[in-house]
Amino acid sequence: MASALENLEAQLELFIENVRQIRIIVSDFQPQGQNVLNQKIQGLVNGLQEIDKLKSQVQDVHVPLEVFDYIDQGRNPQLYTKDCIEKALTKNEQVKGKIDAYRKFKANMLVELNRVFPNELAKYRAIRGDE
Amino acid sequence: MGDQFRKVEQYSPKSSPRGARSPVVSRQDSTGTLKTTISLGKNPSIVHSGPFYLMKEPPGESELTGATNLMGYYGLEHSYTKFSGKKPKEQLSSFLPNLPGIIDKPGHHDNSSLRSVIEKPPIGGKELLPLTSVQLAGFRLHPGPLPEQYRYVNQAPQRKHKNKHKKHKHKPGEVLSGQEVATTDVGGSDTHEKKHKKQKRHDEEKEARKKRKKEKKRKKQKHSPEHTGSLTPSQHSNS
Repeated sequence: MASALENLEAQLELFIENVRQIRIIVSDFQPQGQNVLNQKIQGLVNGLQEIDKLKSQVQDVHVPLEVFDYIDQGRNPQLYTKDCIEKALTKNEQVKGKIDAYRKFKANMLVELNRVFPNELAKYRAIRGDE
Repeated sequence: MGDQFRKVEQYSPKSSPRGARSPVVSRQDSTGTLKTTISLGKNPSIVHSGPFYLMKEPPGESELTGATNLMGYYGLEHSYTKFSGKKPKEQLSSFLPNLPGIIDKPGHHDNSSLRSVIEKPPIGGKELLPLTSVQLAGFRLHPGPLPEQYRYVNQAPQRKHKNKHKKHKHKPGEVLSGQEVATTDVGGSDTHEKKHKKQKRHDEEKEARKKRKKEKKRKKQKHSPEHTGSLTPSQHSNS
């Protein structure tokens, strides 16, 4: 997968470089530059063909739509990754806190029930099969 | 006969909106621990004979819960330390430094947003073929530079521009064309003073001498107020 993405990246960079060169040729066009321009335009078509070939190799890459919003606003998409990681960590800590609290609650409740209803709790534990 | 059976089926509990389940009987006893005795007849009754009422099977313990450090479980600690250590730069250009042009501006300004590609997908599915000589003839260009309105793409990114300004600030005597435009646009007395100071730096002594001479002349002539002679064109327009 990594090589497929690297391939695609390299092809896209080549394509962008080709466009950049065309822009330079066109910005102050010289008559002798027509052949070079024609070659560059054919290079664009070839570049698009190469990118199109790589399409099948990256079918299983899923990109969250929110990343596009970051890029469209001219922001670094790594900020999105950072936000996601921080959110996941916060949520993970919250859930762990809840689970720990419930465990403590269960243990305390069993202790207290054992104190007040020892016989019933013995039956309950026998049915549950724990302890 | 067949019709009769069909009629019976139509009115059977299976066709009721709740399915085959009776709403009277609760379904909590999936464990078998809660024993119930159901007696039918004239007076149907449900008697719970087990020791606990409403006892349910506890939820099965899943291997992976939020109690485990999921960042470590999925091997993302490296990514976490990478991003938590230092804040990545805000601009898109710092992520794609090799991309030419100005990419830090919002995409919808120049119709280059990725969202628009999703909302209005380009026409695809056609085979990409090299252009024929006839098609290439459409790209025959006239020699010469591009018209002014199409040259904006050749502008360098703004941060480079800022650096240039800073460099020039240290060099006395040199005035950028851009700075000149800014001073004439604003046209205030402050900008005029700044410009004046720069000239002073350039050849202070000459200026001082000239000023002294001018003042002497003015005193001799005893005409209009002193400051009118040093007005910029913009100040004239303001007044």
